[in-house]
Amino acid sequence: MVQIGVQTKNVVMDERPKEGFAMLSAAGFSCADFSLNGYLLNTDLYEERVNGFFDKSRQELEEFFLPHKQGARSANITINQMHMPYPIYVPKGKKELNEYLQKEMAPKSLEICAFFGCKHLVVHGFKLAHFLGSEEAEWMETERFLHSVLPLAKEMGITICIENLYDGIGGHLIEGPCCNVKKAVERIDRINEAYHSEVLGFCFDTGHANLTGLDFKEFLTTLGHRLKVLHIHDNDGISDLHQIPFTFAKTRENQSSTNWDGFLRGLKAIKFDKVLSFETAPVLTAFPEKMKPQVLAFIAGIGRYFCSEMEK
Amino acid sequence: MNLVCSLSGIVSPYYPKQGIMDITNAGFENIFLEAGMSCSEYELENYGKPKQSRKENRNKTYCITEKPWELEEFFEKTLNQSSKNNLNIPIVRAPYLPRDTKRTDATSQSNIKSLLIRLNQETIKFCKKAGCSYLIIRPWFAGIEIEREWEENRAYYLSLADTAKECQVTILLENQCRNFNGHLIRGICSDGQKAAQWVDRLNEEAGEELFGFSMDVGTLNLCGQNIYDFTKALGHRLKAVLLRDCNGNREASLLPFTCVAGGQPQTDWLNVFRGLRTIDFDGQLILSFSDTAAAFSPILRPRLLELAKETGEYFRWQIEIEGLLKKYPSRVLFGAGNMCRNYMKCYGKLYEPLYTCDNNSALWGTEFCGLEVKRPESLKELPDDCAIFICNIYYREIEKQLRDLGVKNPIEFFNDEYMPTFYFDRLEG
Repeated sequence: MVQIGVQTKNVVMDERPKEGFAMLSAAGFSCADFSLNGYLLNTDLYEERVNGFFDKSRQELEEFFLPHKQGARSANITINQMHMPYPIYVPKGKKELNEYLQKEMAPKSLEICAFFGCKHLVVHGFKLAHFLGSEEAEWMETERFLHSVLPLAKEMGITICIENLYDGIGGHLIEGPCCNVKKAVERIDRINEAYHSEVLGFCFDTGHANLTGLDFKEFLTTLGHRLKVLHIHDNDGISDLHQIPFTFAKTRENQSSTNWDGFLRGLKAIKFDKVLSFETAPVLTAFPEKMKPQVLAFIAGIGRYFCSEMEK
Repeated sequence: MNLVCSLSGIVSPYYPKQGIMDITNAGFENIFLEAGMSCSEYELENYGKPKQSRKENRNKTYCITEKPWELEEFFEKTLNQSSKNNLNIPIVRAPYLPRDTKRTDATSQSNIKSLLIRLNQETIKFCKKAGCSYLIIRPWFAGIEIEREWEENRAYYLSLADTAKECQVTILLENQCRNFNGHLIRGICSDGQKAAQWVDRLNEEAGEELFGFSMDVGTLNLCGQNIYDFTKALGHRLKAVLLRDCNGNREASLLPFTCVAGGQPQTDWLNVFRGLRTIDFDGQLILSFSDTAAAFSPILRPRLLELAKETGEYFRWQIEIEGLLKKYPSRVLFGAGNMCRNYMKCYGKLYEPLYTCDNNSALWGTEFCGLEVKRPESLKELPDDCAIFICNIYYREIEKQLRDLGVKNPIEFFNDEYMPTFYFDRLEG
């Protein structure tokens, strides 16, 4: 049965995680996407600033996240997916930084994922096509990294999920890693076959797909069973805004300019039975703090609408 | 590679003399004609509707939707003037429906499709008369589901095969956007692999190479596509490239490099160059900048056309840069910095320079990227057919320095803005 989830970012706070999970539950969610990326921000990494969060030992990390785990359990929320901090490779960064990200941060992210009993960890592919000359050469570097963590993922029963991303040129957002679904399918199948296990899957990001003009239905139906998790959010087709679905219209007819119908038809065609997970944390800072429960409930309501449409 | 200037926004088919004169004076030898100038997308959109609801054509002499056979006559003045100015018309685009067409009901589709087929046939005949080898015909898209796209278009294109064969015209398919409630997303033929399959299947069914592809860079940009991958997938099927700039969100036909934000281009020109070099593109390179031309005063237009010509030549030069490197039996570089380093990374093995020079005396006698760094005076001892490639952005200043020094060898500019690969870092200082 399809469930509904949302990011923990801007809801579950380290000081009082139990309250946050309770709020998610009260809003109508049964699952959560744990925002591990919030502990090592991309904006810091691009500036080569690394906080010491992932310097902690496994035991220290588990102690840190124990209240979160307990909070989720008491609210009956399943952590179905997590997001590894990104980027995993800073192109112009120092060797030590990139080694730290791949050899320290990445395996510890997997350990935290396992600690939560979470089965899906979303990672960002490397953005290196500009330097290396092609998407294929870029993917080879991503794959090299994946092979460094997949044995551990297999051992822990975790599926690492690659995500369709964008890149930027003069403020214009264009296709980035993992936007070619046929290539993604070939790569996932090849790697899983090599590991005799479903160690690699896909995270379809609706917002990124909208920015890069992808056909949702075609993408999803080509992905099929390889689709493990979702990042559902909306934008104006120009900026990565992470807003609530159905927010944007571009014509006087005021119809949604994002193809949500295609999205649902795609999910239905592949009989998607996992979690409709919303990646809409920015909405929560845009609305007044006091309205957070209502905003979350509204997002969950859209999730229920999606469920009902998929069941038709 | 043919450099081609689009007439749109520059030449009026009713009064073509001045526009064609400006194009000729700018140095263009080839023009791209939009047959849609005779029959706009809105005229097609309103086809069959009561006349009072139509957007009337300003010049009421022609109404091509009612008299398709007059298409040839419509362009007679343009054709005569082009001929007088020795301009070739290697490529034409057939009329097309607007992307946001509302004519998606079965009756309209049937009527408009029949009309378009007739117009396409007339355009093919016009191509024959104009000595034009390529005709771009956009895929039929109105009201059809993705699952039916191939079948509908297979029949649509093959219905034109006999006329194309008779007139010796190659029909080029073109990548499309789809208008989803005002948001332009990937449409028919936007998947390079699938588009290549379509071309191959059509040629197979036609029994000869009657079909090819024309890549609209502006459309790829609107859909945020990987232009390198797209180009590579099309390969030899790519007969024409429509170069136009836009901000990636709204339709526009701007002169390349003019749509910028924060000093950065908003079209991925790097991957345009990388892709076209990879497939050794040697087709029609069309500059389409009707919006830029319309925004410039007619007084300035001759200068704009000169810039457009230079821009086109720059594209051709970048795409064929490897040809320039291999043109000379030997070569030396001038400059021992990042550009020289980039040359050595991408071309150093295939086109190995004898040495490099630099004005910085501190570098003389040292080695840089495996090359000996010599003083500029050394260039006077070069064999006559050895070319000097300037690897420094102060191109013209250095060229003058070398000529003043008495160097008689060919001097070429190297450029590392659009390299096949890049280093992750830059040398400082």
